[in-house]
Amino acid sequence: MIRQSLYMLFRRFINDSLFSFINLTNLTVGFATFILLTQFIASMFSWDKHNENYERIYRVQLFQDQPENRVRHSSSITAALSRHELTKLPEIEKIVLMHDVGDNNKSGVFLSVDKKDQFLIRYGYYADQTVFDIFTFEFIEGVPQKALTEPFSVVLSRTVAQKLFPSGKALGKQIYGENKVVLTVSGVYEDMPEKSNWQPAFLIPMQSFTAFTGWSDYTENYWAYSFYTYVLLKPNADPANVDAQIHDALKDYRKEHYPYLRPMSMLYIKAYYQNDMLIALGLFSFIALLILVLSAINYINLQTANAITRFREIGIKKTLGFTKKQLWSQFILESVTLAFTGGVLGLILAHLMTPAFNRMIGINALTSIFSDWKLVLIMLGVSILTGFLSGIHPAFAISAFNPVTALKQKFIQEETNGITLKKILVTAQFSISLFLLIVSAIIYKQTAYMLTCDMGFESQNLLFANITTNGSGSFDALRQRLISHPEIADACQADYIPYILPGGNEMNWEGGDPEEKVFVRISHIGYDFVSTFQMNITTGRNFSREYPADLDKCLVNETAVRVFGWKDPIGKHIRTNNKNVEVIGVIRDYIVFSVHNPTEPHMYRLLPDSISTDKVYAVRYLPGHEKEAREIVRNEFERAFPLDAFEFRHIQSLIQNENAALAWQRLMKVSGFFALFSVIISSIGLFGLILFFSRHKMKEIGIRKVLGFSFTSLYYTMASSFIRLFIVSIFIAWPLSYFVYLYLPGAHKYGIQLGEFVLCTLITLAVAVATISYQIIKAVRTKAVEVLKDE
Amino acid sequence: MIRTVNLSKIFRTELVETTALREINFEVRKGEFIAIMGPSGCGKSTLLNILGLLDHSNSGEYYFDGIEVSRFTEKQCTMLRKGTMGFVFQSFNLIDDLNVFENVELPLIALSIPRSDRRKKVDAILERMQIGHRRDHYPRQLSGGQQQRVAVARALITNPKLILADEPTGNLDSHNGEQVMQLLEQLNAEGTTIVMVTHSLNHADRAHRVVNLFDGQILAERTDRIFEPQQLS
Repeated sequence: MIRQSLYMLFRRFINDSLFSFINLTNLTVGFATFILLTQFIASMFSWDKHNENYERIYRVQLFQDQPENRVRHSSSITAALSRHELTKLPEIEKIVLMHDVGDNNKSGVFLSVDKKDQFLIRYGYYADQTVFDIFTFEFIEGVPQKALTEPFSVVLSRTVAQKLFPSGKALGKQIYGENKVVLTVSGVYEDMPEKSNWQPAFLIPMQSFTAFTGWSDYTENYWAYSFYTYVLLKPNADPANVDAQIHDALKDYRKEHYPYLRPMSMLYIKAYYQNDMLIALGLFSFIALLILVLSAINYINLQTANAITRFREIGIKKTLGFTKKQLWSQFILESVTLAFTGGVLGLILAHLMTPAFNRMIGINALTSIFSDWKLVLIMLGVSILTGFLSGIHPAFAISAFNPVTALKQKFIQEETNGITLKKILVTAQFSISLFLLIVSAIIYKQTAYMLTCDMGFESQNLLFANITTNGSGSFDALRQRLISHPEIADACQADYIPYILPGGNEMNWEGGDPEEKVFVRISHIGYDFVSTFQMNITTGRNFSREYPADLDKCLVNETAVRVFGWKDPIGKHIRTNNKNVEVIGVIRDYIVFSVHNPTEPHMYRLLPDSISTDKVYAVRYLPGHEKEAREIVRNEFERAFPLDAFEFRHIQSLIQNENAALAWQRLMKVSGFFALFSVIISSIGLFGLILFFSRHKMKEIGIRKVLGFSFTSLYYTMASSFIRLFIVSIFIAWPLSYFVYLYLPGAHKYGIQLGEFVLCTLITLAVAVATISYQIIKAVRTKAVEVLKDE
Repeated sequence: MIRTVNLSKIFRTELVETTALREINFEVRKGEFIAIMGPSGCGKSTLLNILGLLDHSNSGEYYFDGIEVSRFTEKQCTMLRKGTMGFVFQSFNLIDDLNVFENVELPLIALSIPRSDRRKKVDAILERMQIGHRRDHYPRQLSGGQQQRVAVARALITNPKLILADEPTGNLDSHNGEQVMQLLEQLNAEGTTIVMVTHSLNHADRAHRVVNLFDGQILAERTDRIFEPQQLS
């Protein structure tokens, strides 16, 4: 019987090829989309797994006040905590202390072989030798045991080694750091895999930290949160024990600052306690499931529609003594076989689409599905289950037909009032399609908003560079020379600029409770910072060269005014470092670091006119003159900083490389991907549905035609029942989509508009109407006699 | 073999009640060949469906081989039907997606008979029906007469005691109709009980007995040939 059923299935498949094609495409596309999304989601949970000790690696972090406060976590802690407190704990096997070389937030450092060909390298770290015991490195040259033991040595990643030594070995060679220090290459390691949270470009021994930075007592410092610490716990050690012991380690130094361990498995998806990534991935999982459900509903509808063509077979078989159970098994078997075939084709399609998908999201997050047999088996299991579950309804409906009526091929008219399973399926189909489309639009618009929103400053036509120098001189003089060129509009210096996040301090403010302190970020800016970035002063005035006392005054942002509860901020004071600083103006809020995060209180101090030490320089040029501007900037800065390496970049490059922006871009692309496929699957589903209905209504159409009904009235008869269900689905899909908007992560959200909902609804409706029209025209054109003669 | 007592069938919709059969008392003996005649809508097919356990009566009793079956469940009906009854329809009712061999094979599959036995039986019956050379053809490739021979072959494959034929010649020309009638007579002569619905007086004359139905009632019974149960032995 199984053999025969499969034979029949195959023959019918060949005979009704359009229907079979639609049915299989629906399943294949549905499964492929589901597989890719599942893989994408799974890949998000598989970061850092290349480390052999993955399960036992933890980063020591800390939070201020409350764990739930998402901006008040620090991934770096003090060196003293690492050197003194952690070493006492028996649970910890290894500790590595690390520090950025230069400021990785700003730009990195320049490395060269000959002081001429400078390479700006970001993400270099000082690190203890233990880094190789905790993390898994693959050495190409040298050995890890000796790599960081000698002072002034440097271990390079393959990429950096190839930049510096394009033709040959690097081991034992010397390089210059910032043209100031000489380092000896003690090893070269393979670049970290793409899915590694930590991508060190080079490593320098921690023991050289003092020599390079001049900071000698850092190991006794409990205040400077700029050191990263990772620990390797002993097997079976309980991280909760460690947490309990280090929780109050800083209480003598900073109240309400609590260190804790964060497992490596969490660092990518939930580094602190913020759920943004999890919410996004949860949403994606939900959408993946919805696409599968949508595809299954389509399948049910298509199978049930097709059952009508099989009345005779069912009637005959029943007459010949086939039991209900036998028929039921036959239809389930068919359903499972088709779904399984769809599953196999879906796997193949997913495999073929993997490279394109990776290109689309910009990282090789996905490997071919066939490299993971467990996942293949799971997916095939899912396809069989889908076939079984989707087969139940059609199989029951079909096997329950009365043989006499089935033989006469009379359609069993279901009751038209009341809620039938069919109506539920149709409404679900419409609702899911509409929901997917609206959510895609929301995610798309939110991402676009994040990438292009009014950031509170003008990010176009702006170059910046971070220069560290031992030299000195006046910045104003340099600025005068720059703006004497007509191509240059403005220039400024600052220690931090937007998208390079400054540190801060806890401060009291005038009118506030002396016991209450608020964390305020502090940056130092030149006179021309506000004008160069084209920010706005909402109240008071900017720093001015006409008021020498401004060096002791400050500006704040709007958020600070709001947090402090000031009605009239001008003349009020903020207390920091035991000094009261007077507020002279308020800068309109701008995006300090990331659209993703809420704006924090910010205080601005005036930078003295000097080009010494470590500064960021920003130059605004006239639109369309970038080439000339770059030339001018290079010449003028080389004159001012003859001994120092620097590189001017677009501020846009900072914004676009910002992690949150990258993540959102990825989400936008993936959401575009599933929007496209959900529209395809929806269209297939609608086609099937309408096929179902029109096969049902063939006779009615035949009779109406004989009686002389017009095309319009026939159309209305056919379409009206769909439109009613469509309206119901609007009431389901709209609130659900709005709910998604509300819970979408990101502190700065775009203003949602009714227009988006209406537009998506119209698109879905257009697809529906187009399919309905095709079927109706086909049905109406069929000769009435053809339809009626079966009766 | 078959006895009905006051068998009635009423079709109900929300507004109308149609009485299809009104207190039918009717008997078919083993080995008999019965023709049922009557105008359209008189209840011929309904009666045949009830006799074939494809439909239930509303009231009255139906004894098949002495057992009251009118209240059988669907499952019981199916169990009784398969292997016991064969059906022949006016429109042949062959499955388009199956070839001749597979169509005839179907009832044996329903009986879960092993494949090798099925093959033997089907080949034998196809030879007997003189359509063995068509075994790999699909219904649409056959003439009406050939299709009906396949349908008869399918009805006979399980060696049923009873064949229920609903206008078996209705869709055939006279030549093919005659062939089918001869086939049925031959089967009857071999001992199979046959109940046939027909519009053709000529074909009805070939039966032992003709039952005339009108408005759901038996109007008259006419015996054309003397049926001798002994001749079976």
